[in-house]
Amino acid sequence: MTEEILSPLAGNVWKINVKEGDQIEEDDEIIILEAMKMETPIYAPSDGKIKSLSVKEGDSVEEDAVLAILE
Amino acid sequence: MRPYFEKMDDIGQALRKGQIKNSEENLTALKEAEKELALEHEKIRNVGFPTEKINARGQLTVWQRLEYLLDPGSWHPLHTLYNPMDNEEQTTNVFDGLGKISGKWAVIIGFDNKVLAGAWIPGQSENILRVTDLAKRLNLPLVWLVNCSGVKLTEQEKFYAGRRGSGATFFRHAELAQLGIPVLAGIYGTNPAGGGYQGISPTVLFAHKDCNIAVGGAGIVSGMAPRGSFNQEMAEELIDKTRQFKAQPPGAVSTHYDETGFFKYVYEEETGVLDGLKEYMKDVPAYNPKFYRVADPKEPKFSPEELYRLIPVNEKRVYNFDEILARLVDGSEHSEFRPDYGPEMYTGLCKIDGYLVAVIGNRQGYLGKDYPEYADYPGIGGKLYRQGLIKLNEFVTLCGRDRLPIIWFQDTSGIDVGDDAEKAELLALGQSLIYSIQQTDVPMMLTVLKKGAAAAHYILGGPTANDHNAFTLGVATTEIYVMHGETAAVASYSRRLVKEKDAGHPLDPVIDNMNKMVKEYFDNSRPIFCAKQGLLDEVVQLDRLRDYMKAFAGSAYQNPKSICPHHQMILPRVIKG
Repeated sequence: MTEEILSPLAGNVWKINVKEGDQIEEDDEIIILEAMKMETPIYAPSDGKIKSLSVKEGDSVEEDAVLAILE
Repeated sequence: MRPYFEKMDDIGQALRKGQIKNSEENLTALKEAEKELALEHEKIRNVGFPTEKINARGQLTVWQRLEYLLDPGSWHPLHTLYNPMDNEEQTTNVFDGLGKISGKWAVIIGFDNKVLAGAWIPGQSENILRVTDLAKRLNLPLVWLVNCSGVKLTEQEKFYAGRRGSGATFFRHAELAQLGIPVLAGIYGTNPAGGGYQGISPTVLFAHKDCNIAVGGAGIVSGMAPRGSFNQEMAEELIDKTRQFKAQPPGAVSTHYDETGFFKYVYEEETGVLDGLKEYMKDVPAYNPKFYRVADPKEPKFSPEELYRLIPVNEKRVYNFDEILARLVDGSEHSEFRPDYGPEMYTGLCKIDGYLVAVIGNRQGYLGKDYPEYADYPGIGGKLYRQGLIKLNEFVTLCGRDRLPIIWFQDTSGIDVGDDAEKAELLALGQSLIYSIQQTDVPMMLTVLKKGAAAAHYILGGPTANDHNAFTLGVATTEIYVMHGETAAVASYSRRLVKEKDAGHPLDPVIDNMNKMVKEYFDNSRPIFCAKQGLLDEVVQLDRLRDYMKAFAGSAYQNPKSICPHHQMILPRVIKG
């Protein structure tokens, strides 16, 4: 079963703290987005493995864009 | 009105396991920062002669007097780090705060008799004016521990005269008297000239047997006419006169108790003076708390200790204001005003120690699609937009009508700017909020949780609302500036960069200046700096914030100047709909 992790806002991908294949736990900080000079951390919604990352650091993303897929 | 207040809506959630794990580093960093603050406070408390030396003279220190006077655990110091004139003594030579005496809240202030025998020094009158303003705003008795040797003569030009100079404090005492606010004074030591007026200007004077108050001191050798300068002959003459100088200070107990009767009471022991003050405080007007409480007091459902995990040290990191509030208010309960409008601002009713208070705070983070509605750019919490400003105006106005004390929390980068913002009337709506606050006549307190910036720092209950803001607190994460240092450097140097570039000059000197400016902005916005300058009235530990809120609410409701019967309040009905 997979779960898409979506961007809650339009902004830039400032930092990615995981790589594909990483095992993660619920609430781990996986990506930090930057918008309007503020950092918004994206936390893992549940335990799992990073199946794929859809963005890289520096990318611009729109609201609801897929950032990563968790399985 | 019991159904409105006994059990209000829940706010906040318990921390999840992952949140606890992720926040360890933040907690450690905040505790470290608070250690530095605690050391600074301790250093200021201990300036001047050591306690043993003062005790050897048969006197108690100001701290020993305060400890004896106050109900245990009730002291909420203010202005501890205040030293706006950068005095070598490191203080303004008075210590003050809110505390309970005989179960009643009072504003208490005492001269530090460890430093220059409690002399007037630069910045002190500004400190005292803050204290008299506090007593006036909260309608609380002012209790003085007078022990003032008069003017520090070598720096008199900095504070003796002027509209807000040392003499202004006596007019403030007179103003408090006119308002029916008693000023009680315990008097110790030698208090000549300015010290004499410090002693005579309060309402009731409680004297120690060895004290004096007088228009002038006897410490100045007389008998020499001014001749423009001094020479060897005059110096020899002075030495002779000084050796023969035996005058007792005028205005002792034998005069001002036995003859004039200015001293209402005289006590053999230093502690007797304090006992006298305690006895009087028992009879100061104060409502039983049950008169104004809307529910039984209860602790928040979530511990205030969790604030260390929820308020990010990282200045750019967003967080959830509602979770902060849930760690500060009774039962972690609230009633939110217009939650679907102006999402960047929280406005709601909460209980503190069973008392109903209004709370206002900046929400953080992304504000959702199509907000603000007047612009094509996204809104972010911390900024103020049209809806938020309109909501604040409505809420503050209703609080004034319902006589509700307001507790503000700031973390703001400013009001939205640009032509769209101007067309949306933000300039006038900001000033309207100032008008709304000025209109209310209710006490307010502010905590600058993180950023206090731009005009938003003024309009969100900041200390510039001098008639209303009782005090402003900071915490370890507080920073106050007109704008962020990098923004200021861009504003100051961008045109210079263009000019240098066009002239073919190296850019390094300009870049160096920009970085210097960024560092100065950083250094001059830290909590200790802000407290020293008086931008904050005190920097407190996060786990003491709720204590200060309780002190504020208890003080505001002890003897309010006007009331709104609970069943005649409109705001709870507006919220309910």
